[in-house]
Formats: sequence, C-alpha cells, structure tokens
Amino acid sequence: MRKRILVVDDEEGLRLLYKEELEDEGWDVELAASGEESLEKLEGDAIDLVLLDIKMPGMDGVEVLRRVKERWKDLPVILCTAYPHYKHEFGTWASDAYVIKSSDLTELKQTIRDILGKRQ
Amino acid sequence: MGYDIIEKVTELSLSGLRLDAKLARAARFILDALPYEQCVFYILDPDGKAFVKRAFAGVDKALICSYGATDGLPGLVKKKKGPVEAYKLDTASTVWEGVNDAGLKGYKSALAYPLRDKETFFGVVYLKSARKASLSKSKRRTLGIIALQASSFIKCADLAESHERIHRDLLKIEERLASSEKLMALGDMAATLAHEIRNPLLSIGGFAGRLKKHLGPGSPGIPYVEQVLKEVVRLEKLMNGVTGFIKDSAVSLKPDDLNGIMEEVLALFDDEFKAHNITIQRDFSEGAMGVAADREQLKIAFDNLIVNAIQSMEHGGALRISTSHEGGRAVVSIADSGGGIEPGNLGYIFNPFFTTKTHGTGLGLPITNSIILRHKGLIEVENNPGVGVTFRVTLPYLRQLRSAC
Ligand SMILES: Nc1ncnc2c1ncn2[C@@H]1O[C@H](COP(=O)(O)OP(=O)(O)OP(=O)(O)O)[C@@H](O)[C@H]1O
Ligand SMILES: [Mg+2]
Repeated sequence: MRKRILVVDDEEGLRLLYKEELEDEGWDVELAASGEESLEKLEGDAIDLVLLDIKMPGMDGVEVLRRVKERWKDLPVILCTAYPHYKHEFGTWASDAYVIKSSDLTELKQTIRDILGKRQ
Repeated sequence: MGYDIIEKVTELSLSGLRLDAKLARAARFILDALPYEQCVFYILDPDGKAFVKRAFAGVDKALICSYGATDGLPGLVKKKKGPVEAYKLDTASTVWEGVNDAGLKGYKSALAYPLRDKETFFGVVYLKSARKASLSKSKRRTLGIIALQASSFIKCADLAESHERIHRDLLKIEERLASSEKLMALGDMAATLAHEIRNPLLSIGGFAGRLKKHLGPGSPGIPYVEQVLKEVVRLEKLMNGVTGFIKDSAVSLKPDDLNGIMEEVLALFDDEFKAHNITIQRDFSEGAMGVAADREQLKIAFDNLIVNAIQSMEHGGALRISTSHEGGRAVVSIADSGGGIEPGNLGYIFNPFFTTKTHGTGLGLPITNSIILRHKGLIEVENNPGVGVTFRVTLPYLRQLRSAC
C-alpha cells in the first residue's frame, strides 16, 4: 500500500512543490496550510508521516508536534525549518527527524525513506 | 618675604600651566628670593636610571642636561635622602666630597634639595652661586616648602597623565563595544532577513529542479535552468551562514570544560589535518578549565577559527592550540603558520561578508565574534605577516568547575 504523507506549510508554493516531488517518489500526499488544518486532516485520514514547518502563523509547528505526539504517539513527524539553531531548542526533541529547508530535497526524501522503511 | 614666595608658588600650583612652565616660573621666583644665580629642576625618569633637566632659570653656565641616577650632587641627594650643600674654595674644581659633578665648575657654593613625597623620590632642585652663599634657617625652611610644592606639581602632572591615559583607553573600549553592539543588531536583522528569503528561495530552486526534469535531457533550456539552480545553492549557503548569528535568547550557558570542548572540536578535523599535512601541537592546561558555555555554539566559534587556519595552510604547516588560565580568564590561543593576514585587510576581517577567498562567505569571523561576545568573552588577533596568525579567545574563568571535577 502506498504510504500517505501530510505536508503542513503555510506557503502555497512550497506545498505544491513538496506534493509534486514526493508524489514522484511514489508517496501519496495530503496538504494542510496551517497547524489547525493539519489536526483536522489527521482526525480524518490515515496518515503515515507528517512533514511539519515550524514557523507558521497561528498554531506553530512545535505546538502541532506536541498535540500530535499526545494523540498519536507513534506517528512519525519530521520538522522543517529555516533556522538551523532550532535544533537545540526545547520542544523539538520529540520529533523523529529535523531537516533544514533547502531547495535540494535529497536529504528530506532520504529521511522520509529511512523513517517509513523502519516502520514497515 | 618668605611668605611672599610661598604665596606665589602656591598660586602657580592652581594655574593651568603645564609642568615645565610651572617649574620654570618657580625657579625664577627662587632666584629672585635667594642669593643664587642658577636654579635647575632635575626629574628622575620613569625607569629611575637618570636625572633629566625639566626646567631652569638664571645663567646657563655649566648647565648640565642630565645625570646618571647615582652621579653628581643629584645622585648624592638621592643617596642621602636629604639636602646636600657644597662650598668650594677652588671654583675650577668639579669634585666635592669625592663626588664629581661637572655642574660645579665655576661655582663656589651649591645647594640641592630633594623633590619627593612620602613614598616617591621625584628628583632634585639644584641651586648654584659663584659667590659664597649661605641661607638663614628660615630661608632653608622656605626652600624646603617650595621643594615640597614642586613635588606636588610633578605628582599632579603624573596623575593627570595617567588619568588621560585611562580616559583614552576607556574611549577605545567604548568604541569597540559600540561596534560589537552594532554587529549584534546587524546579525539579528540578517537572521530575520535570511529567514524571509529562504522560503522563496526554496520555491525557486525546487521548481527550477522540477522544470529541469520536465525539459528532459538534451533540451536547450537545461543550461539556463542549471544556472538558476547553481545560484540558488550559492544563496542558500550564504543564508545558512547568516542564520548563524543566533539570537541572544539562544545561548544557554552551563558550566563546562574548555579543554574538553577544544578536544572535541579538534577531533572533527583529524582527517583534514592529515590531508593537508598539518601538524598539531596541543598545549592544554592541567585538569579541567571551567567556563560558562553554550557548548554547541562555542564549538561553532572554534570550528570557524580552525577552518580558517586550515585554509591558510593548504600545503602544510603547524597549528598550535593552547589553553591557559590567566588572572581570572580562561584563554585559548590558536596559532597557525599560514602566512598571516595582509596588514591592509586586518581592520576588516570581523566585518560580515569580508572575504579574500573565492568561495568564502565572510561570515566565519563575525559569527565567531558574536558567539564569543555572548559568552562575555573577547577575541584578539595577533598578526605576523609572512609567518602566521594567532587568534586569542578569552572567556571568564569558572572556579567552581575545578572543585566539582
Ligand atoms: N588564520 C587566518 N590566516 C590568514 N587569513 C585569515 C585567517 N583567518 C581569517 N583570515 C582572513 O579573514 C577573512 C575573513 O575570515 P572569515 O572566516 O570571516 O571569512 P572566510 O573564511 O573568508 O569565509 P567563511 O568563513 O564564511 O567561509 C578571510 O577571508 C581571510 O582573508
Ligand atoms: Mg572562515
């Protein structure tokens, strides 16, 4: 069965980019434009992995991460951000991986592959 | 009459005149009041090796510019720690009480008084006369008081000078502080800007990548798209550097061992040192070296310095890393043999984006500087053009760690 990834990012361009690139890799992609929307989607669909932007207006990624891990302890979450130094900050430790945003998506795809592979 | 001169000299002490002018006028007043023809103020130079003439009044016969610290009547005054008086019958002679003093030539009597306060001997006031001069007890006392006042002129001038020096140093420190504050503000601004730029950049690069896939191999559009991709990668690298200017809140200081941090940083470079034929010399202090550190950030700071050192020694060299504890500060120095920095560039190396390297971003040193500053530390450069550079980082030393370890 194809794995389903939920991409959460407030920038429309990036949502489109992630969707197309990840679909090319053979995954199904769901999109959410905000933290709130991502939680709604998670209630409805069966999701295998969440790709989460940290910096979003409204509920930010760290808060979404906290709520996701409260309800779906085993659902893997990858945090994406432009700030390399978030890495050391409290609150991000609970994520399964941490990726710095880059136009080269190789690292991101590899991280997704690793995590999904482990759970098969 | 005795009070007259004391009053005049006291007025002098309140004047804004410079030391030499004050002493010259005091010399004039002394000659007006006492039966001598020459009055010279000699001051012992700062290293105590010689008496140097600072001011004089009267005739310039046998006027000596300087004496060794143990020579002539001034030397005798210093030795005796009191006034010395000379009477000679033979005016041609330059020797008195076994002391040779060319200044005595042509004079019959001379009188030298010490200039000093409780702790310090400043010099002498030296009076000469071609006739036989003798002073009453009260005139001697008056002269004693004037010598004291002249001593206070000298002391005031010394104090004023050190006050001025401290003031100058303070201005320099203030200037440095202001520029480091500016740098931090600039850093914060750059970090925000970098973040705002990163998402659009990711979008540009990501879609250019998709466009490349759609064009397919052999398409004439490929080189254009590749150029776009190359530039995006370059900008992203720059942005990664800029976000290295980390916000204040991000430093969390914990007691740590600086020697341990340095070992960890050095271990990352083992292969590179070998690859570039660089020999490492470690001069670490005994035991642990306590500092309040944000370990990850300090590692970035030292990492940048070592990368620079390696880049300056691509074809081999020696890197010396030492740590020591100097008066309440923990000191790390990183010395390379990479030929040093061009003197004309030295003033710019801490400016963001200053680089002499083809692929440098010029952010290594400003990032290091801002991290060190956030640790309440200081970074200094000692440049030996043609030889190498030593970067010295000092951080506040934590004593507690020592007992805890
Ligand atoms: N150890 C050194 N020996 C010689 N020159 C140095 C040394 N360290 C720094 N410099 C000079 O200072 C400049 C600025 O250094 P800085 O680390 O800020 O930027 P960079 O090394 O050029 O680029 P980046 O660190 O961003 O890759 C360098 O380009 C170089 O000219
Ligand atoms: Mg550098």
